[in-house]
Amino acid sequence: MAEKPYGLIATFDTPGALMHAAEQVRDAGYSKWDCITPFPVHGLDKAMGVRRSKVPRISLAGGITGFCTGMSMIWFMDRFDYPITVGGKPLFSPLFAFPVSYELTILFTAFATIGGMFFLNGLPMHYHPVLNYEDIRRGTDDLFFLVIEKADARYDAANTRALLEKVGGTQIKELES
Amino acid sequence: MIKPDSSKALWIGIAGIAVTALGLLVSGAHVVATAWLVGVGFWTAIAIGMLMMILIHHIFDAGWSTVLRRQYEHGVAAFPWLLLLFLPLVAASYLGKHDLIWPWMNPDHQIIGGHQVKDDLLYVKKHAFLNLPLFTIVAFGFYGLWIWISARLRKASFTQDSDGDIRWTKMSGKTAGFGIPIVALTLTGAAIYWFKSLEYHWFSTMYGVWFFANCMRGALSSGVLIMIWLYNRGDFKGILKTDHLWAIGQLMLTFTVFWAYVSFSQYFLIWNANVPEETFWYNIREFGDWWYVSLFLVFGNFLLPFLLLLSYRYKVTHRTIRRIAYFVLFVVFVDLCYNILPALQDKDGNPLPFLSINLVWAITSVIGVGGIAVAAYLRSLPSTKLIPIRDPRIAECLNHNE
Repeated sequence: MAEKPYGLIATFDTPGALMHAAEQVRDAGYSKWDCITPFPVHGLDKAMGVRRSKVPRISLAGGITGFCTGMSMIWFMDRFDYPITVGGKPLFSPLFAFPVSYELTILFTAFATIGGMFFLNGLPMHYHPVLNYEDIRRGTDDLFFLVIEKADARYDAANTRALLEKVGGTQIKELES
Repeated sequence: MIKPDSSKALWIGIAGIAVTALGLLVSGAHVVATAWLVGVGFWTAIAIGMLMMILIHHIFDAGWSTVLRRQYEHGVAAFPWLLLLFLPLVAASYLGKHDLIWPWMNPDHQIIGGHQVKDDLLYVKKHAFLNLPLFTIVAFGFYGLWIWISARLRKASFTQDSDGDIRWTKMSGKTAGFGIPIVALTLTGAAIYWFKSLEYHWFSTMYGVWFFANCMRGALSSGVLIMIWLYNRGDFKGILKTDHLWAIGQLMLTFTVFWAYVSFSQYFLIWNANVPEETFWYNIREFGDWWYVSLFLVFGNFLLPFLLLLSYRYKVTHRTIRRIAYFVLFVVFVDLCYNILPALQDKDGNPLPFLSINLVWAITSVIGVGGIAVAAYLRSLPSTKLIPIRDPRIAECLNHNE
């Protein structure tokens, strides 16, 4: 038994078994748990009850920021900071500020998307307790794992173990944190 | 599947054509013929977009769109009918002084400012392109090429249903290879000949790309409407997945941005250069209520669909994406009106208002041509399998997952 347990890990042999187990763990009301698979399993996110990523909202915020930055920057520079009349055009018009604002929209959206993805995933992450598990490498090859964290409100060493057994998990082990 | 009833669409089409014909007595031939150009142009744009979608599907050897492609193959069955409905415009160009629709067809046509078309330097320079014989050849040639490429794609796809031969897929790949440049060039030529030459003084290298953007927006929106219609009939239950709508919704978003990019570039370059030969085209379109139509293009054709289509939920909810698709079809129509109808001008050279009886004939033309085009689709629909069951990519399409 580990000193400070991180949670319980259970092994499954097929994606189908993992999928059904995930549905039951989801229905049991757990929230801090995850599945480890060697390849993307279509429909697993639904079986786990995972909602769609929130990254697009961060992207949108980045895009709006970029657009406003471009517009206000050119407005300030051309209208106040260094006003020059070119080609009989007004000192400021959203028309000629548009291409730059559009470029900044794309740039800031890209930054926000990458940054938001890193932030929401908790990256960079140099250590994770499941990496201590002796069979974890087979999770990139031919086995499927389901991990329930101790931090989950519903976690209870005995009950959670019983649930993992009920849903068909084998080799249920406690992970060191 | 239960055979759909195409006669209703046909009768709606005939009714639309009949009402448009009545317009000849009310508004005269010049107005009604120009409005008819909007109707034929609108549905030809959708058919060209569908043809492009099939070709693009094949050139990328795409998987997810296999089921959608079959519907587009039925949609392009409208081309021969669209040619037939375009013929009145060709015939009208041979009647009278030839300038019923396109002023450059009559060398004696009086231009605002005093001189005649034949003395106009810009006409003289463009004469090798803008002449009636070439116009006639081009009309038949372009529709002929579209009909021919559609027929090749339809035959390959429909025959594969029965023999399952991979040869047909490869043949369509080759068709796509030469078909995409042909359709790209012909749709550009058509846009220049039929719409842009209404004001032949004007220059814009973006014009063909602008028309292409509208073709694709029309075809994608029609594709959404067709798929949801088939789902509601029960035919597409178990076939149409959330991820199909997600994929086509993303393309709708793409072409919304593409349309805005092209339209903005066209306006921006002309605004920046400020050359009278180019700015007059936009000056006409800021006159009277066309100013509000211009603003509608910015906010209705771009901003609103753009914001709505950003949302995943809106793209995959049948009710919302269907409403967005209807709205996009409407804005494509408004955009065509914006490009064509200001050619109708009063004696001072100012365009007749957008909200006028002329708009009624444009709408009846769209209904008239649309009824015939939809009937052509509905007649083609039961002629073969609902989905291309022996296409090598069909399993990939039915299991499509983001």
